[in-house]
Amino acid sequence: MEATHRTEWTLLATPLVAFLLVCLGFPAVVNLVYSVSQISFATLRQPEITGFGNFVAVVSDTAFWRANWFSLRFGLLTALLECLFGLGLAVFLAPLFKERSWPIAILMLPLMVAPALMGLMYRLVLHEFAGPVPHYLWAWFGDSPAFLGPNSAFWTLTAVETLQWTPFAFLLFHMAYQAIPTELREAAALDGATGLARFWRIELPLMLPTAVAALLIRFIDGFRVFDNVYVLTGSGAGGSTTSLSIYIYEAFFKQGAIGKAVAASVILFAASFAVLYGLNRLARRRRR
Amino acid sequence: MTFSAARASRFLCTVFAAGVAAGAAQAEVTVLGWPGGPEETALRAVAEAYNARPEVSGDNKVELLFFNRDGFWDKLQADLAAGSDAFDVNLLATYSIGRYAPFMEPVELSGEAQDLYGEAVLSTMQFDGRQYGVPTDLSLHFLYYRKDLIDALMADETAKARYAEISEEHLGRKLEPKDPNDWSWDDYAATALYFTQAVNPDSPTRYGTVLQMKNLLFNIMVWQSTARSEGGDWRDADGRITVNSDAFRKGLELYKMLYDAGATPRDSLSYEFAEANAAFASGQVAAMVQWNAAAADLTSAEKSPAVGEVTATVAPPAGSESRATHIHGLGLGLNKSAGNKDGAKAFLEWLSTRQAAIAYAKAGGAPALSPQAVSEIAEERPDLVQLGEYAGAFGYVMNGGASANALAVYELQAKEFTGYWSGQQDLDTALANVERGMAELLK
Amino acid sequence: MLATIRWTVFVLAAFAMNFPLIVTLATSFKSAREISTNPGLWVQAPTLSNYLTVLQVSDRLNIFLYLANSFAVAALGTLLAVALALPAAYAIARGRLGEKTLLPLIVNLRAVPLVIFAIPIYMMFQFLGLLDTRFGLGLVLTIVNIPLVLIILVNAIADVPYELDEAAMIDGVSRTGILFRILAPVCRPAIVTSLIFGFITAWNEFLFGLMLTTSKAVPVTVGASFFFAASGGGVQWGVAAAVMMVGALPPMLLGLFMYRKISGTMMAGAVKG
Repeated sequence: MEATHRTEWTLLATPLVAFLLVCLGFPAVVNLVYSVSQISFATLRQPEITGFGNFVAVVSDTAFWRANWFSLRFGLLTALLECLFGLGLAVFLAPLFKERSWPIAILMLPLMVAPALMGLMYRLVLHEFAGPVPHYLWAWFGDSPAFLGPNSAFWTLTAVETLQWTPFAFLLFHMAYQAIPTELREAAALDGATGLARFWRIELPLMLPTAVAALLIRFIDGFRVFDNVYVLTGSGAGGSTTSLSIYIYEAFFKQGAIGKAVAASVILFAASFAVLYGLNRLARRRRR
Repeated sequence: MTFSAARASRFLCTVFAAGVAAGAAQAEVTVLGWPGGPEETALRAVAEAYNARPEVSGDNKVELLFFNRDGFWDKLQADLAAGSDAFDVNLLATYSIGRYAPFMEPVELSGEAQDLYGEAVLSTMQFDGRQYGVPTDLSLHFLYYRKDLIDALMADETAKARYAEISEEHLGRKLEPKDPNDWSWDDYAATALYFTQAVNPDSPTRYGTVLQMKNLLFNIMVWQSTARSEGGDWRDADGRITVNSDAFRKGLELYKMLYDAGATPRDSLSYEFAEANAAFASGQVAAMVQWNAAAADLTSAEKSPAVGEVTATVAPPAGSESRATHIHGLGLGLNKSAGNKDGAKAFLEWLSTRQAAIAYAKAGGAPALSPQAVSEIAEERPDLVQLGEYAGAFGYVMNGGASANALAVYELQAKEFTGYWSGQQDLDTALANVERGMAELLK
Repeated sequence: MLATIRWTVFVLAAFAMNFPLIVTLATSFKSAREISTNPGLWVQAPTLSNYLTVLQVSDRLNIFLYLANSFAVAALGTLLAVALALPAAYAIARGRLGEKTLLPLIVNLRAVPLVIFAIPIYMMFQFLGLLDTRFGLGLVLTIVNIPLVLIILVNAIADVPYELDEAAMIDGVSRTGILFRILAPVCRPAIVTSLIFGFITAWNEFLFGLMLTTSKAVPVTVGASFFFAASGGGVQWGVAAAVMMVGALPPMLLGLFMYRKISGTMMAGAVKG
C-alpha cells in the first residue's frame, strides 16, 4: 500500500523533475566542470580541469564577502519592510476592498514595470536638475540631499526596492486575509475581542504560513537583486553597492573570470540549500 | 524521460570538442551595428548605397542587425565565444578589440584606406599588429564650457580679484582667468571652484563643473586624460605597471578635491554620460569634460534651450607634460564563424574606400579622416575637422589599452578610484590595489 | 472618520508606490526640450511625438512584434510552469515527497543568479536550434518561474484542510481526480496568483531575452532600448518613458482582468463557506 502511494506521488512529481533535468542538467554539469577549470571565453569548449583554484580565489576575495553582506542586509531589510507595509495595508485597508477592486489594481501597478526600466526612470526621478524629487525639494526647502552618494545609496536603493515590491507582499496578505472564514471573526467578536486583539490572536496566526512564504520570497528576491541596482548605481563607488548577483555578473562578463563566477554560484547554491534545509527541519520539528 | 547516458555524452562531446556545425550558407551579409544614435543612421545610409551598386549580387546584399544597447558587449561576447553565425560582420571597439580578436579574422582594407584615415586612426582597429576592423567612428573628449560666463568673468575686474582669491585659497597660488583654449588643469579647477555656489555664493551657476564618477569603465576613460597630460601611462616600455606615479596621483586628487569642495553635483558618484549632460544642459554648470558625442545636443538651441547658444568646445586642458584626449574607435570586423565570409570581406573592403567614408560622414557618422580627406566635407561637417585635428594632435591610447584585458583594467580602476573619491579608501591603497591587479591582468 | 483615514492612507501609499509611474507618464508627454527645462510633474506643452516614435513600425523597429513576442514567451513560461508545478506541489504538500531536498533544491534556483547558466544554455540552444525562437525563450522563462510558482502552490495546498481529501478518497476518487476536481478549484485564487506573478516575472525578464534572441523573438524589455538609446550612451527620456508605458500596459490589463477572477472566486468561496 505504502509503496503504491509512493509510486503515485512520484509520478505526479515526475514531469517537473524531468523538465528541470532536461533543461538544467546539461548546464549544471557544464557549470560544475567550469567551476574546477581554468576557463575563459576563448576556451569555452576546452575547459582545462585544474582543481579547486576558483573556489579558493572566491573565498579569499574580500569583495565576495562584502557582496554577501550587502545582499544579506538588503534582502533582510527589504523583505521585512515590504512584509510589514504589505501586511499593514492589507489589514488596515481591507474594508475599502470589500465592495470594489480597483484600489487593489492601483496598488498592484508598480509590479508591472520591469525593474531595469524602473531603475532607469529613477535615474531621471532623482536627478538634481532633471528630476521632480530634487526639483520640488529645492523649490520648497531650498536644498536636496545626495540620494546616491556613498552614505545614502544603500538607503535609496532600499526605498526603491521596497516601494516597487510592497504590492507583492500586499497581494499575498490580502488573499490570506480574505480567506479567513467570517465565522471565526464573528465568534471572536462575540467573545468581546477588540479589533487589535482579534488581529493578534486570530488573524495573524492564521496568516502565519503566508507571512513565512512572503518573507522567504521577498528575502530571496532582495538577496539576488540585480536589475534596478545595476542601472542606478552599478556596483557603486568602490564597489559599495555590489550585490552578490552583480558580483557574479561582473566576474562573468566584465572580468571574463567564468570559473570564478561559477564557483561563487556553486558556493551560494550550496549555502542557501543548507539554510533552507535547516529551516525546513526546524519547521517540521516545531510542527510535531 | 531524460537523455540516455550515451546520447547525453555524445551531446556533450559534440558541444565541447567539435563545436557546432556551421548553419546553412546564408544568403545575405548580416552586419551587426551599434544601435541608436547617428552611428546607426550613418550605417543605414552606407548599407543602402552598397546594396544599390550594380556589382553587388542579390545574395551578397547587406542586411543590418542591431542588439539592445544595454549589455551589447556582453551579448556579443557570448555570441562570438559560442561561435554564432547570426552575423557575418560585427562591431568592435578599441578597448575591447583584444577580447574579441580570438573570435574574429583580420580584414583587408582598400588601397585608399591608408591615405584616408592615417596610421594613428587605423591603429585603433589593430591587435597584435594586424588589422581587425574598418574604422567607422572615433570618440574623444572635448572641454565644453559656457562662453557667456567665461567672457563675463574675463571682462570684470572684481570677479578677477575674487577668482584670484579663490584659487589662492584652494590651489595655493593666485590665478587669472584665461581663455579655455589655454587652460591647464589648474585653470580648469580654479574656474570650477569660482563658479560653485558652495565656494563662491555669488556664482551664477550652482556648480562649476560636473564630473562623471559612477563606478563605470567609460568614466575612467573620461578621467584618465588628467593623468596622461601629466605624463602618466599604464605601463612603461618594459611592461612595468606605472600607475603608482605622481601623474596618476595628481589626476585623482584633482577629482577628489573638486568633489569634496562641492564643485560638482553631490550625486556625481552615480553620474554617467546622460546625467552629466542633463546637468550641463540645465544651465547650472560652467564647464565639463565630456565625450564628443554630446556636442550635437549641447550646442543645439532646440534640444538644450538653456545653454545651446552659449556652449563652446575646445580640447581638454593641458597638464605639465602635454594636452591629451583619450581616443577610441568603433569599427566593423569579420566574424570568424561567418556564414558568408566572401560577401562580408567584399563589404568591408568597400567600406574602407573614400566614397564609403564620405557617405558615412555625410549621413551623420563621425569618422576621423585625414586633413586632406576631410576637406571634401568640411563645409557640411565642420565638427569632423575639429575631431580629426584633436585626434591627430592630442589623441592617445594607454600602453595596454587595446590588450586582451583592457576592459578588465578599466573595470578595476573604476572600482578602486571611485572607492578613493567616495572616501572609502585612501589614495595609496587604491593605487596599490590597481597596480597589483593590473600586473595580474597585463601579464 | 476611520473611513477617511483609510482613504488617506490608501491615497498616500498609492502615490508613493506609483510615483515613478506618475513621473513616467508625465515625461512620456514631454518634448525633449521640455524635459531639459521643466522637471516638474505638470506638462506644459503635451506632445504625442514620443508615442508616435515608439508605435511607428520600420524594418528594424516593431514594437508590436516585441509585444507579441513577450506575450507568447510569458504565456508559455507561465502556463507550462504552473502545469508542471501543480502536480508536483500536490505530491510535496500531501505525499511529503521531496519535502526535505527536492523543494529546497528547486526553491534555491530562485536565489542563484541565472547568469551563470547563460553560456551553457546558449550552447545547448545553439545545438538544438532554439536560439532566437519564442519556444526556446519560453522554456527558459518556465525555469525562471518554477520556484516561485511552486512555493505558492505548495503553500496553498498545505492550507486546504486534509478532510477534503479524505472525504474524496472515501468516495473512491483517484489522486489525480482529487487534484483536479477538489484541490484545483479550492486553490484557484493561488493558481491565479501564481499565473499573475509568473506572467509579470516572465514579462519583465531581461537577461535571457538579451542573450538568447537577436531579431525574431526579441521581447519588449530588450526591444525597449532600441528606441531610446541616444548617441554616446545617452537616453532619450521621453521616448524611454513612452516605451515603458506601452510595455507595462499588457501586464496591467492582464493583471486587472485576472484580479477580477480571483476576487470573484473568493467571494464565491466565502458565500459557500
